[in-house]
Amino acid sequence: MQFFKTKHNFLVLATAALIGAAPSAYAAETIRIGMTSALTGPYNEFGEGNRRAVELAVEQWNARGGINGKKIEIAMLLDDQLNPDRAVQNMRRILDDKSIVGIIGPAGSGPTLAVIDMVQADGRPYMNPIAQTPVITYPDGVGTKPRSNVFSFALQNDVESVAMGQFLAKKFKRIGVIHESTAYGVSGLEYLTASIEKNGGNKPVAVDSYNQGAQDMTAQVARLNRSGVDAIAAIGLGKDLAVLRRTMARLNVTAPLIASNGALGLPYQEGAGELTTGTLGTMIGAFSDPMGKATAAFAEAYKSKYGTDRWWGADPTRPQLFMAISVANGYDAANVLFEGIRRANSTDPKAIISAIESIRDLEGANTTYSFSPERHHGIETEAVKVFEYAREGDAVRLRPVAN
Amino acid sequence: MDFLIQMIASGLSVGAVYALVGLGLNLTFWTTRVLNFGQGSVLMAGAMITAVLVARGCNVFLAVALSLVVSALILWVIEFVGVRPMLRIRGSMGWVVSTLGAGIFLQGSASWLFGTQAVAFPDVLFKSSDTIELLGAYISVQYIAVFVISVVIVGLMELFLRRSTWGYGVRAVAHDRELAALMGIPVRRVVVGSFLVSGLLAGAAGVLVAQVSGTVDPNFGLHLLILSFVATVVGGMGSAVGSLVGGLTLGVIEKLVGGYVSPAAAEMVAFVLLVAVLTIRPQGLFGKADTVKV
Amino acid sequence: MSKLVDLITNTWTLAVLCVVLALAAGFVETGTVQMWSFVAINILLAQSINLLTGITGQISLGHAGFFAIGAYASALLMKGAGLPLPVSVVVAAAISAGAGYLLSIPAGRVREFYLAMMSLAFGLIVYELAREWRGLTGGVMGVRGVPSAQIGTLSLFGWVLDSAWYFRILLLSLIGTMIAFRNFVKSHYGRAFYAVHVSEIAAGTLGVSQAATKRAAYALSGGIAGLAGGFYAHLVGYLTPESFGLMRSVEILVMSIVGGLGSLTGQVLGAIVFTYLPQRLQAFSDYQFMAYGLILIFVFTLLPNGLAGLLKTRTRYSKFDQLGGIGNASPAVALTQRHSDKAASHGPLIRVEQVTMEFSGLRALSGVSLDLQPSCITALVGPNGSGKSTLVNVISGLYKPTSGRILFKGKDIGGQPSHRIAAAGITRTFQDPRNVPSFTVRENILMGANRLYVHGPLAAALNTPHAKAEEREMLGRVEALMATAGLTHHAEDIIGDLPYGIQRLAEVARALASDPELLLLDEPAAGLSEHEAERLVQLIRMAADHGVAVLVIDHHMDFLARLVNDVVVFEAGEVIYRGDMDGMRSNQAVIEAYLGKEEVSHA
Repeated sequence: MQFFKTKHNFLVLATAALIGAAPSAYAAETIRIGMTSALTGPYNEFGEGNRRAVELAVEQWNARGGINGKKIEIAMLLDDQLNPDRAVQNMRRILDDKSIVGIIGPAGSGPTLAVIDMVQADGRPYMNPIAQTPVITYPDGVGTKPRSNVFSFALQNDVESVAMGQFLAKKFKRIGVIHESTAYGVSGLEYLTASIEKNGGNKPVAVDSYNQGAQDMTAQVARLNRSGVDAIAAIGLGKDLAVLRRTMARLNVTAPLIASNGALGLPYQEGAGELTTGTLGTMIGAFSDPMGKATAAFAEAYKSKYGTDRWWGADPTRPQLFMAISVANGYDAANVLFEGIRRANSTDPKAIISAIESIRDLEGANTTYSFSPERHHGIETEAVKVFEYAREGDAVRLRPVAN
Repeated sequence: MDFLIQMIASGLSVGAVYALVGLGLNLTFWTTRVLNFGQGSVLMAGAMITAVLVARGCNVFLAVALSLVVSALILWVIEFVGVRPMLRIRGSMGWVVSTLGAGIFLQGSASWLFGTQAVAFPDVLFKSSDTIELLGAYISVQYIAVFVISVVIVGLMELFLRRSTWGYGVRAVAHDRELAALMGIPVRRVVVGSFLVSGLLAGAAGVLVAQVSGTVDPNFGLHLLILSFVATVVGGMGSAVGSLVGGLTLGVIEKLVGGYVSPAAAEMVAFVLLVAVLTIRPQGLFGKADTVKV
Repeated sequence: MSKLVDLITNTWTLAVLCVVLALAAGFVETGTVQMWSFVAINILLAQSINLLTGITGQISLGHAGFFAIGAYASALLMKGAGLPLPVSVVVAAAISAGAGYLLSIPAGRVREFYLAMMSLAFGLIVYELAREWRGLTGGVMGVRGVPSAQIGTLSLFGWVLDSAWYFRILLLSLIGTMIAFRNFVKSHYGRAFYAVHVSEIAAGTLGVSQAATKRAAYALSGGIAGLAGGFYAHLVGYLTPESFGLMRSVEILVMSIVGGLGSLTGQVLGAIVFTYLPQRLQAFSDYQFMAYGLILIFVFTLLPNGLAGLLKTRTRYSKFDQLGGIGNASPAVALTQRHSDKAASHGPLIRVEQVTMEFSGLRALSGVSLDLQPSCITALVGPNGSGKSTLVNVISGLYKPTSGRILFKGKDIGGQPSHRIAAAGITRTFQDPRNVPSFTVRENILMGANRLYVHGPLAAALNTPHAKAEEREMLGRVEALMATAGLTHHAEDIIGDLPYGIQRLAEVARALASDPELLLLDEPAAGLSEHEAERLVQLIRMAADHGVAVLVIDHHMDFLARLVNDVVVFEAGEVIYRGDMDGMRSNQAVIEAYLGKEEVSHA
């Protein structure tokens, strides 16, 4: 008979949970948005950066009087730590609150893939700031119909790989690719291979993968080296790319390293130390000199609100390039959402979505945004550049490479 | 040929670290029958403290020494709050929960104190670009240093366990705790000692691995912990030599499979090896068979 | 307080509460129902690992493997083959059970730490397969578009299931599983599983095969976890290998341990706490890892018996409560009356022929021959180390004799596994009582009857009339034995808390509950009070009266004198005397053996 008792407790707790999750009163006088991201835990570089960006955007709009006179409120700010189950639970809580008008999503492809179907079924406008896998926006592949309510501000794999593919195809004959074994790495490899071939290059001669957090990549690098590669292209996080770079040095592999955006962040610079010089990486070029007007304005606003924190980077005089994908993407996502609501002058999802689809040439921090019913992603290939760590006197700076 | 040499060299280096971590796990397991799931975070703590101190301008050797002391103290605290109370409750397996909790707490504390992102680990032992050439293959001096240091530590531990009074105590407690107490062995002191030494070994292993990977972050150590478990079991619990052979075997096989088959297969090979070894020899390669007492 | 507990332990209260939950699912928010569904899935997972780790004592650090197999199987079967929900989750559970069965083959050979590592390896192999077997699992990209209730793509025979209905189906499955599980645990199977946990050796002497029990436990546990996996797949609608890594396995184990291993109630509490805890901890933002860590470190110091300890409930391993006692069943028989016609020349019940037992060159028994007759009580005496216990261990199958034969009813049983020998009707006790300390006296004695049960696992789980009747009959037997042993007033006491003498008596009663033909007692009178020894004599006499052959090892000559028909004296692994008590006392060889030659010559 014992376990009957627990049923009682189950009910008590379940009731408590029910009360805890009860909807907050509908407040029509504010525009309420919801967000779940990796605010803590090992991946909060992106999640916390995005939170700061969204809060900054909200503050700026509210300072200007809100959207058509209504203040914006981040009604739900939840932490998923990049855990898919947690993201699903958080997203459900957000979707359950019918007063939420727009949603900003998680900080990676895994949890985003876990929530995206239910977000689509719900129909409210959803901004994807970070997850790079294109199937999030275009479930049947790039060039097909986007999910009606999903807009992407991420540097999509297909977009990022264009600049890298062009560069590689032009300069190298025997390319080796190494990627992390995640959704991001696998789709990155796919698009990079396509891009190299499209630009007249040779198919990669060797491909290998590693797990996030690997502490040594001897097997992978030696395999690439054995295939006689003249360049190593890598897709992954900065910390792991640093391990790759160190392993290359250990095996005396001198082929240049051309990496995805992770190589432009602080973790790579910390981990690779003096080996950073000469590393090439692709990144949204917004924060390179000269910055556009909107970018500079964002940078200024960020600096005055948060100071020169680790998202800003080591150099107090100018923000790091990496800000484009850890902070500015979230800022643009929020701004486009608010602009859509303003133009629609309504909180009806369909109206907001068609208003966003009508946006043309809107200056954002990362790029100039244009959307249409067929085109739901913001960052295009021309926004992406290849950079190189070059030594300037005592310092190592990132310089755009002429393509 | 050079390919093979490179695989073996890196395998030996990684394997020696597995052995070092494995020996630390082994020690506390012998004396308390508790498996410390928080050990990965102790590795992290050792490496993190070294990295942070050096970044603030502390002398490298002092930083390493301090971090080893802190690692040992952490295990002493784990023993006090997480292991000793659990052993009084038979069959509850509370130690799984408490040692895991200790690991998570350490991780959380490191994130809070030093941020969640990877921190650069200074070049304490040579640079990653320092290599020597052997039969046409480039071998990192760091690998050699890591290998040599780990093997020397494991060797010294073996000697220490065999020759010292404390080592005798550890073996007696491992054999039969109650009997050891009756024989007048200060069981408590032996247990605490095993935790302190286990902490030292974990701290040292953390510093060595961070030297190879170049960075340390709060999540550091978990993967290594799992593979060290595997190495320990393959070698056989209760044997320092077994830990070493298990670690080196695992490291080399992992790199060979990674190099000749695929890195993805290398991820699995450790676990397949473990199941295979235990199926054929349930006590591991060097372990003593469980004698069933009637 | 106790009234309140009584009220809510009422079956009807439970039923009403479940109905209320099921109804409420239609009125609360989808997110709340979804959390309930996560709780239900976690309860299944916790029960699954509880069966394996808590009850059968086999630690598992790889439960996410079963969970993953179930989830992928159900998702792919529905997506690919279009199987409907009930079929896909059941098949998924079956596949996962199969994986459990296979795992038990290597895992059954190892213990403790080695077992922990092997299960960990199993979990990680499944995880790596999910990542790398792209053709099947979609690799790291995961499986997208799994029919799921929360996005309205899940239908059952044309009827679209929403989250509320999905929860209702899940709740129903959970209740069904829990009831079946509870019945199963309270049957002789549950007791057998627990016996393997406490002592594999003692389990063998009850006729329980530890290998078969472990296989069953792994398969069942895998099946339940697979069922949870199937429901998980259709709850979330997207599967990624990252959901099935080591941390998931650890979480499942932690949930179960904190709930209270071995307690069915505790699992429910553990699952609820660990489903809601991470969500609630979000409030601690940057401190949540530290808070979580601290909770895990100190939970056991504060709650030594897990959450189940808070309720002071214990999971009971017999159907005594369910059956409402034994009712007015026909006056119970403690033992079957065996009519042994001593005159008939069927030969002895057991004949030990020239048995030699060597341990790495050391000879413990050398060429021992011995016959035992039904209804006859034989004492086995001799100095310490003369091989008495060794003989009992050889007969009961714990040791395989080096040479010689042991004929039981004409068949050679020498070297057979102990559970087979026990099943044939040879029961023994140990020098130190091998009871299950956390069981009541009644449950311990009932455990002895294990070999007599004929109903199968399904009948046990469903509580069929036959299963109930059989359990009632065995409980009646136990009642009669307790009456003879004077243990009736201790029936409901936890045996580990009782004085040593009571524990010994209970162990002898347990041995008799197996209705043996041959009873081997290893120093049963040691540590008994006068009064208890008298009870013991009555028990043994009762056995002999019913035709049981009894062999008693003891040093207590007064005790033996009023009990036995026959004495065998051992010295250095050899029989030096066989005959009656008086003859023994005057036998020169025996005197020398006991007192040593020197003393005899001086005397």
